[in-house]
Amino acid sequence: MNSMKKLVVSVIAAVAASSAAHADPLKATVIHWWTSGGESAAIKQFADAYNKAGGLWIDQAVAGADQARSTAINRIMGGDPPTAAQFNTSKQFHDIIDQGLLNNVDDVAAKENWDKIFPPSIIESIKSNGHYYAAPVDIHMPAWFFYSKPAFQKAGITKEPATYDEFIADLDKLKAAGVIPLALGGQAWQEKITFDAVFADVGGPDLYLKVYRDRDVNAVKSDAFKKVLTQFKRLHNYIDPGSPGRNWNDATALVISGKAGVQIMGDWAKGEFSAANQTAGKDFGCFPGFGPHSPYLVAGDAFVFPKTDDPNVVKAQKLLATVMTSPAAQVAFSAKKGSIPIRSDIDDSSLDMCAKEGIAIMKDKSRQLPNPEMLTPPDINGALQDVITNFWNKNQSVEDAQKAFASGLKS
Amino acid sequence: MNAPRHPLKRRSRFTPARLGVYAFLLTSALFFLLPLYVMLVTSVKPMTEIRLGNILSLPVHFTLDAWRVAWQSACTGLDCQGIQVGFWNSVRIVVPSTVLSILVGAVNGYALSFWKPRGATTLFAILLVGAFIPVQVMVYPLVRVLATVHLFSSLPGIVLIHTIFGMPVMTLLFRNYYAALPHELFQAARVDGGGFWRIFLQLMVPMSTPIIVVAIIMQVTGIWNDFILGLVFAGTRNLPMTVQLNNIINTTTGERLYNVNMAATILTSMVPLAIYFVSGRWFVRGIASGAVKG
Amino acid sequence: MASTPAGKTLRAPVSHAKRKPLRKRFALAAYIALLPMALTVVFAYLGTMLWSLRTSFTNSRTFASNSFAGVSQYVRLFNNDRWMLSLQNIVVYGILFIVLCLAIGLLLAVFIDQKVMAEGALRTVFLYPYAMSFVATGLVWQWILNPELGIQEVLHRIGFTHARFDWIVDQDRVIYTLVIATVWQASGLVMALLLAGLRGIDEEIWKAARIDGIPRWRVYVSIVIPMLGASISTAFILLFVMVIKLYDAVVAMTQGGPGTASEVPAKFIMEYLFGRANLGMASAASIVLLVTVLAILAPVFYIRSRALRLRDSR
Repeated sequence: MNSMKKLVVSVIAAVAASSAAHADPLKATVIHWWTSGGESAAIKQFADAYNKAGGLWIDQAVAGADQARSTAINRIMGGDPPTAAQFNTSKQFHDIIDQGLLNNVDDVAAKENWDKIFPPSIIESIKSNGHYYAAPVDIHMPAWFFYSKPAFQKAGITKEPATYDEFIADLDKLKAAGVIPLALGGQAWQEKITFDAVFADVGGPDLYLKVYRDRDVNAVKSDAFKKVLTQFKRLHNYIDPGSPGRNWNDATALVISGKAGVQIMGDWAKGEFSAANQTAGKDFGCFPGFGPHSPYLVAGDAFVFPKTDDPNVVKAQKLLATVMTSPAAQVAFSAKKGSIPIRSDIDDSSLDMCAKEGIAIMKDKSRQLPNPEMLTPPDINGALQDVITNFWNKNQSVEDAQKAFASGLKS
Repeated sequence: MNAPRHPLKRRSRFTPARLGVYAFLLTSALFFLLPLYVMLVTSVKPMTEIRLGNILSLPVHFTLDAWRVAWQSACTGLDCQGIQVGFWNSVRIVVPSTVLSILVGAVNGYALSFWKPRGATTLFAILLVGAFIPVQVMVYPLVRVLATVHLFSSLPGIVLIHTIFGMPVMTLLFRNYYAALPHELFQAARVDGGGFWRIFLQLMVPMSTPIIVVAIIMQVTGIWNDFILGLVFAGTRNLPMTVQLNNIINTTTGERLYNVNMAATILTSMVPLAIYFVSGRWFVRGIASGAVKG
Repeated sequence: MASTPAGKTLRAPVSHAKRKPLRKRFALAAYIALLPMALTVVFAYLGTMLWSLRTSFTNSRTFASNSFAGVSQYVRLFNNDRWMLSLQNIVVYGILFIVLCLAIGLLLAVFIDQKVMAEGALRTVFLYPYAMSFVATGLVWQWILNPELGIQEVLHRIGFTHARFDWIVDQDRVIYTLVIATVWQASGLVMALLLAGLRGIDEEIWKAARIDGIPRWRVYVSIVIPMLGASISTAFILLFVMVIKLYDAVVAMTQGGPGTASEVPAKFIMEYLFGRANLGMASAASIVLLVTVLAILAPVFYIRSRALRLRDSR
């Protein structure tokens, strides 16, 4: 009996000692939509860094951005919120802020000096009423021009175009060489990206901001905007008949195999190139626009933190916000994701050629242009997307498109 | 007392009519099999071939890698364990949901068809109109309702949800089936003193085999392939296989491995397909006739 | 004393007193058995419909709000070209889909009923499309129907260089491609349903027809198919539900395109619900859809219930 008691006491003592030595890891359930192989490798960088810092990352991925966001919202409403949920740096989550359903991360922002190291457009999209409600984790540029080097060689194009007109001339050369000049997936969001690329490059940042940020109807009715629409529609001569409905990956596949010359797509497309074992600068090239002052569209992803009073969850949220925005994690993540880090104070030597160029451009604040999603709420974005896809696919006159765009902006 | 076999039956079975039947069936079969062919062929090609776009051509480099990857190592988020992860969850959701929804549908159909309590037809009409509401529109308020009864994010919750969503079609199926059965049987049973449940269990259920088979086909397929409801209501410990399937196929900005997608889809559909194949035994003629004579 | 209605078998008056309480007990069991259905209808379905109705009169965005908006959402809805086009599309699609599925399903069921060889295998061939997630099969159909990857390309390669089958990129014809792919998916189920109905038909009828010397096809047309009325009506309603809920196929095959040419109501609602965070408009669209369905179903229902009542009182 006595030895039994001694055994029990010593076991309890041992357990107590060991549990005093290790604090419980901070559990964090994270909803996001990064489910492909390349994206998984990227999010692993965050998960590993978080686990090393004393956390426990519980992954709850849901493919499809709309699906993931609505899952997060449903869980919040059902009383089972995740610790963190992915959104875009945009106006998507501002309704949730207004309902008081998010925790803010002001102390992390103050401690890590977010105001100094993040670009101004990102800061604006994560802040509301002076509080910081999201941790931005990457910057994507949706309007890169990717091209196949073999296809360019075949068409006799020796250097990247420096103006939009040179670009059109290059497209003509590609057509003459029997290559599909522009690989486009005819889905509404891809057509909108193409339009925004032309808008930023041909219309210029001032007109762009007047339309998207100020919603100035007169800017839409101007001749300058008319020119943007016309130049945009010109590209329709350079796509192939199988374009409508095509997935963006299939369009990239055309460039990868040299069947097409150029694709206008976000820098996430580099994932497809790497999956096909192609390297930037060798097998394919990339340029962000025309000329040394071309605008650089800024878009990105951010994690929000649903409201909770549980102190452990709040701690986990703050740890997540800190870890995901830390320099080492940022570089490791960007290398796998194809994006560029949100902070400017990092070492970019391990990133690919296109990313390095993007980082260099970002240093020039005058070239940064926020993505339309950062400037307009989701339903106006959608209405404008409808206008553009109609204009692209139908024989609509430029004037009618202008009118439709103007009324979409007002809706 | 068998009537002598009709002499016409001895004639060759290859009458033009019969050939016509086979011709129609085989041509239809080809149309139906075309997409399966494309899926199979795509699933055994490497991506380099798929990118070339020859969807009907046989593979140059045959490889079963995509199948292995789909089952056990495809990335579905941070975890890269393929679709096998959710297999048992799907089973645990499908079995009770199918049983419960068919049971409720059969009882409803039986009550509506033979007993016709007051107001039942109006309820049924509303139920039927409810079948047309898009699922996502119903998710929003149902999340609130389930949260109130503490069933949100749980296995009983998802079973309840599937029963709710399956009720209109199941009830319709059974009600129309029972409506076509001869009502004399029912009257006779009532005269004999049968009660509601006795008549149901001893008379109707044995006669319902064909429609139960159809109901099983519909429910197993619908619930096994369901993604939205499982994602929202099942809770993270019970996520069905289709959530992983969706994660593999539906990436927004990630690269798409079509061979893996096709393999994963075919693997996921194996369970409903197995049910279809096995159900063949019960598509037998003459279920009702036995009861009429006896 | 309640009089027995005309047409029912007369009971001996002696047992009448005993009969009444027994009758009540029967009816009570039926009411109790239908309780789950009643609860579901009231709380799940009716509740949702009323909630949607209420939300359609507000300016709800991501969440349901109380800011009253009158009928402005409905006004915006009917000024929206995409919505009007989606209604047009669903009508054209619906008629083609239902007719083709019923016809093909019926033919397949009847032909398979002819004691053909390998019936099990054939049935599985026609049913397997229903088992597969449309996300993947829809993409396959997109490839097959794409002029550069699919049928048109194959025809070109084997020599028909001027053959054209590019409906999927043609604004006016894209809706037909959706019909093709979804009929492929759903006909098997209609076949299974009608086969179950066929197999439920009394063997006696076949024997009687044989003895009378009626040719097989006459038996089908004049006797069997009318007896399949209930199965056909079930199939019709199931197909109608599939038409209204058409979404996966559109997303997988055409994404509503080219442009907005293949837009359908369910996709419109989904987008305004999620992507555009406009709950008010999505609710208004749902209500319009439901009212349309009701307008089509109500007369059908009324006619059927009158026919049934006539049949029962005979």
